[in-house]
Amino acid sequence: MPPPILIKNARVIDPASGIDRVADVALRDGRVADIGESPSFDDPIIVDAEGLIACPGLIDPHVHLREPGQEHKETVLSGSMAAAAGGFTTVCCMPNTSPTLDSPEVLSFLAERAQDARCRVFPVAAATVGREGQLPSEIALLARAGAVAFSDDGDAIASAGVMRQVLGLVRDTGRAFMQHCQEPTLTHGAAMNAGEIATTLGLGGWPAIAEELIIERDIRLNTGIGCRYHVQHISAAGSVDLVRKARGRGLPVTAEASPHHLLLTDEACLGFDTMAKVNPPLRSMADVEAVRAGVADGTITVLATDHAPHAAHEKDADFASAPFGMIGLETAVALYHQALVETGILDWPRLISMMTVAPAALCNLDRMGLGKLVVGGPADVTLIDPKSSWTISTDDFAGKSANSPFIGREVGVRPVATIVGGELHAGRLGERVKEPAPG
Amino acid sequence: MTTAAPQTASEVKIPPPPSGRGLLGLRGMPASDLRSILSLTRHYSDIANERQADEPLLKGLAVANLFFEDSTRTRLSFTLAAQRLGAHVIDLAGQGSSFSKGESLTDTALTVEAMGVHAMIVRAKGSGSAELIARVVKCPVINAGDGTHEHPTQALIDIYTLCEATGSLDSFDLSGMTVAIVGDCASSRVARSNIAAMSSLGARVVCVGPPGMAPASLRALGCEVLHDLDSIAPEADAIMMLRIQWERHSEAVAAGADAIRKRAKLGSLRQYRELYAMTRERAESMKPGAWVMHPGPMNRGVEIDQEVADGPRSLILKQVAAGVAVRMAVLARTV
Repeated sequence: MPPPILIKNARVIDPASGIDRVADVALRDGRVADIGESPSFDDPIIVDAEGLIACPGLIDPHVHLREPGQEHKETVLSGSMAAAAGGFTTVCCMPNTSPTLDSPEVLSFLAERAQDARCRVFPVAAATVGREGQLPSEIALLARAGAVAFSDDGDAIASAGVMRQVLGLVRDTGRAFMQHCQEPTLTHGAAMNAGEIATTLGLGGWPAIAEELIIERDIRLNTGIGCRYHVQHISAAGSVDLVRKARGRGLPVTAEASPHHLLLTDEACLGFDTMAKVNPPLRSMADVEAVRAGVADGTITVLATDHAPHAAHEKDADFASAPFGMIGLETAVALYHQALVETGILDWPRLISMMTVAPAALCNLDRMGLGKLVVGGPADVTLIDPKSSWTISTDDFAGKSANSPFIGREVGVRPVATIVGGELHAGRLGERVKEPAPG
Repeated sequence: MTTAAPQTASEVKIPPPPSGRGLLGLRGMPASDLRSILSLTRHYSDIANERQADEPLLKGLAVANLFFEDSTRTRLSFTLAAQRLGAHVIDLAGQGSSFSKGESLTDTALTVEAMGVHAMIVRAKGSGSAELIARVVKCPVINAGDGTHEHPTQALIDIYTLCEATGSLDSFDLSGMTVAIVGDCASSRVARSNIAAMSSLGARVVCVGPPGMAPASLRALGCEVLHDLDSIAPEADAIMMLRIQWERHSEAVAAGADAIRKRAKLGSLRQYRELYAMTRERAESMKPGAWVMHPGPMNRGVEIDQEVADGPRSLILKQVAAGVAVRMAVLARTV
């Protein structure tokens, strides 16, 4: 067991219980021992958290760890280091690996790798064999083997018939189905958002309706089935409207927003900048505003990075040939804060709620006590410096890849440490940490 | 802390490609620069017509043709242009080079540059490829066609030929002219370069084709879009026909060659010809003195009929003839 930790004088924010006050947090034996004024242990590690925020460990329900199969981009270990650097104590990894996360055997391999990780790693399993959208995978067995949700992320399940089967099977496991909403016949050869810039650059356009159609179809298919249905990385104004209306009717629909869809438009693709190539694509300012409005009014409840590492040589290609995706873990908190708190859309407790309570509920992690700070619950804590000021550079990336369109951006706030199951990853705490005197 | 505030779509001002010393595209190029290349073209054209000795402006320099995609007229005319200016020319084709062994575009370009070349002519399948290479090499890069983005020297050829035919080689002023570009405009880098440059020189440019090939979104480029060729043919001063670029139609590529052939056999080609081909009847509906153009390669019997391609309105071979002089002018200005 790691030594006990005493976090002193932090602004403790726990959205689940409504706590937001300066307090000490004591952690022992991997559990929260006390949240109060002056708990006392023998020989704790003392963290002077004056001026810092202490909140439940952040959860990212949408990352790509690339292992097995593409370890040159990321591994479970390197991705977990990126997560720790970004303040995340839990990540849920997508199944588009090689082999696909579509069998209990591959999930056990992943679980083995996750033992060495610097954060908790839970798999989102493929809903169809090989993510081919043809034959449902062993959804019940995968749930028993630890899958916390199901998705064919990277591709939508295009066939309505297969989709209907999957919704029923996933519902019976009590898990959520996460859809990558992309009608494939509308996006052949697409490289960026359909619009003036794609037309001018001579690049294939990815229209918003390709996302909206799948959401609309799935909401109708799910009528009478009632699976928890989650829209991944929502990007278009029309999609936000569809989710808003469905939630208004009481349907079990949730959606997540990624940092880039809250901050960037397709202008970032100018100059054929492949760092800005992502799926779904960066869209118009009206779409960015709609995604922000969706967060503001509670239509979008979850924040997720879609951390998608690619090696430098892979992004060093012509735009159409370069792979989709950007990393997100290390910069997420600063970027969400810029998009949502500095703009007055959210306060700190709501922002933290969207990165703890909501993703925990989405992936059934709340049942393990994750996403909240309660005495007796897991000692997963994130410490954030809310008064930081930094310029994003490749030196800040702790994972294997550096494909970010945000390099050079000025941001405020920064996670400085994580604690996972009572284990301190001190990160940027520096002299704030006092180890117990030996002997 | 400022949150980046991108503009709304209607306010987007899309900056032109970096100008540098090379030639990556014509979008955003000032009319004065276009006219200066075209005037220099006239100079080289006159030298050739009068069989005068060439000016060995590039003597002792080496120019590399990097063609990662097939070409006949562009590659040969760049070669001839560079040779007439006194340069050594080395040739790399996508097939038979290390590119086919998986070497990246930029590594291939850097490898060739390291041998000591002074300019690169780049043709590649991906939009933005010339710009990608220009970012890593030090020598000037001339775009000889990048995906569906731009093909600047072809548009300069088209404009030079049109001005020659209409007697405006002194002004290179296209004011008052209507040019229709017909067919697969969305897939056409030639169309994009022509829309930019012809509009800049004063022409009204109209893209004509079925909705998939002439989508309304092309208006963002500064042209008009029509789906009815017969409504514009009688008023156009020039009609430029384009080949259907099946190889760039991802749906067609995804469906496979058989599907494309079947589609043609089942009558979609017949319908296409009925609505958009340059037939004799359609050529006859054009006003006197109006011209028919084609940047090549032509598919006779598809987008253009034999008797029009070889008929009195055709500028097609004159377009090819202007190729060398245009490319001499571009090389002379950039290398």
